[in-house]
Amino acid sequence: MHAIPSLSFRRLLDAPLSRGLTLLCVGALIAWATPALAQNFTPRDESPEDFPAGAGRDETFYACTACHGFKLVAQQGLSRAGWEDSINLMVRRHNMPALDEADRARLLGYLEATYPPRAPAARGGWQNPFSKQ
Amino acid sequence: MAQETGRQGADLSRDGATQTVASVDRGRRGFLGGSGLAAIGAVIGSGMPFSDTLVPAASAQGTAPAKGPQHLKYPGKNEGLVVLGERPLVAETPESLLDDDTTPTEKFYIRNNGQIPEPAKDPEAWKIVIDGEVNNRLELSLGELKSKYRIATRRMVLECGGNGRSAFSPPARGNQWTNGGAGCAEWTGIALADVLKAAGLKSSAKYTAHYAADLHLSGDASKPSLSRGVRIEKAMDPYTMIVWGMNGEPLPNIHGGPVRLVVPGWPGSASQKWLTRINIRDKEHDGAGMTEFSYRVAIKPMVPGEKGDPKNFRILESMPVRSLITNPANGAKFSAGTKELKLRGAAWAGDLTVKAVDVSTDFGATWHKAGLSKPKNKYDWQRWTATVKLPSDGYFEIWTRATDSKGVMQPHQAGFWNPQGYGGNAMHRIAVLVG
Repeated sequence: MHAIPSLSFRRLLDAPLSRGLTLLCVGALIAWATPALAQNFTPRDESPEDFPAGAGRDETFYACTACHGFKLVAQQGLSRAGWEDSINLMVRRHNMPALDEADRARLLGYLEATYPPRAPAARGGWQNPFSKQ
Repeated sequence: MAQETGRQGADLSRDGATQTVASVDRGRRGFLGGSGLAAIGAVIGSGMPFSDTLVPAASAQGTAPAKGPQHLKYPGKNEGLVVLGERPLVAETPESLLDDDTTPTEKFYIRNNGQIPEPAKDPEAWKIVIDGEVNNRLELSLGELKSKYRIATRRMVLECGGNGRSAFSPPARGNQWTNGGAGCAEWTGIALADVLKAAGLKSSAKYTAHYAADLHLSGDASKPSLSRGVRIEKAMDPYTMIVWGMNGEPLPNIHGGPVRLVVPGWPGSASQKWLTRINIRDKEHDGAGMTEFSYRVAIKPMVPGEKGDPKNFRILESMPVRSLITNPANGAKFSAGTKELKLRGAAWAGDLTVKAVDVSTDFGATWHKAGLSKPKNKYDWQRWTATVKLPSDGYFEIWTRATDSKGVMQPHQAGFWNPQGYGGNAMHRIAVLVG
């Protein structure tokens, strides 16, 4: 479980170690915790600012990108109930830590406001290449 | 650089490269200024597996483009592929890049569920295990697979179960594939059936369960990123293969090499990449991707957008019929006075064959039959060609629809909505501008 390295990681940052030792440990942890990054494809760096501003954006971004890219979220458009189902699915089946009510509401508020069902499928999954709209 | 009248010679724009294609703006993200990062700590504190520091520290490569599709940058892959997501890495092939009779490996779509494993250092030593409801547990290296069984090469379609998902309304959960989660390559390997016969299936053998070497995105080694299976009848289909070759080359790591399954006609997720084990079960598999709404469709049709009841769902097996226009490309422009367009495309139908492809230039008011080739072998796609006349200059859409060997045709819209968007096979359409 990554929850364990992540907690250790926090402790490392909080611990009164020398800066050099901290960096050494962080480097070792990165090497141990992220085998996917040590190969010939490195996911593009995403940051919350790449996505529409709104209350809860940063919390939503970091909650989702703990495992997967935010592009997976941003390409979808769901109702609040749909997003709630997605979060439940992630918690139940994909190791997402359970959210308390306040965090859950904050994430859902952002997702509902920013990625509602209108796009992309309201356009029939097909976009007119000549449309100016 | 408008395309000229008639476009005689099929090689003129074999890959669509000579056409002018209007850019399609898929982007809808506003790049507004960021608010403070003050609240992040609260979320990390609630136990998020990665902190914000870990991933960017090791992966800084610039930021996402503001507009338009994001094109793939991956060694050995065509930059025309469109990235749906990078973690996991998922990229689809625009229809106009599926214009080759055999899809070159560089143009073949990419679908991952978990992390991409390191390439195997010694591919010949790669081992797969066959166990469960068999008389003899087998452990076979790739070298043994190559030497002990009859080798075959077959051209077969591999298609993501979610192909066409973006046509659902309201949107369904998951990667928003257009039609590009499919390709047709030459696969070299052996029949899974031959290995299962060698292992000796017990009479209790009902279902397969596939396991692989790719780690779950969370990094939890105990959690398969994907573990699907098929009914034993499909596993025994002589075209269901354990493969190590793709288009005459060793199967690339990104496509599941050194060893993967190809279960043709069924959702691509059954064709486990980086295969390590096939466990034979006495009942339906319940691994990652088998239950609830995963790779399942509604038995009793549901109201689009409503919450589904998992009891009303069945596993999607054969993929539905689909046809594509692979040339011209969507957004092609032709010079004024162009009266005729030559069209090319592909069609396939899961476990079935395609018996007809029709095209329309008037939104389906009238249809014209396309010339349809025979498949090279079962599960190959069928290429088609047609020539259509245009009454004037202006904006036209060209629509294509295929009909399978049981008489079932593609619908105008993705129907039979389901929460995760499987079985969407709406007719493909392109827009062209003349003059």
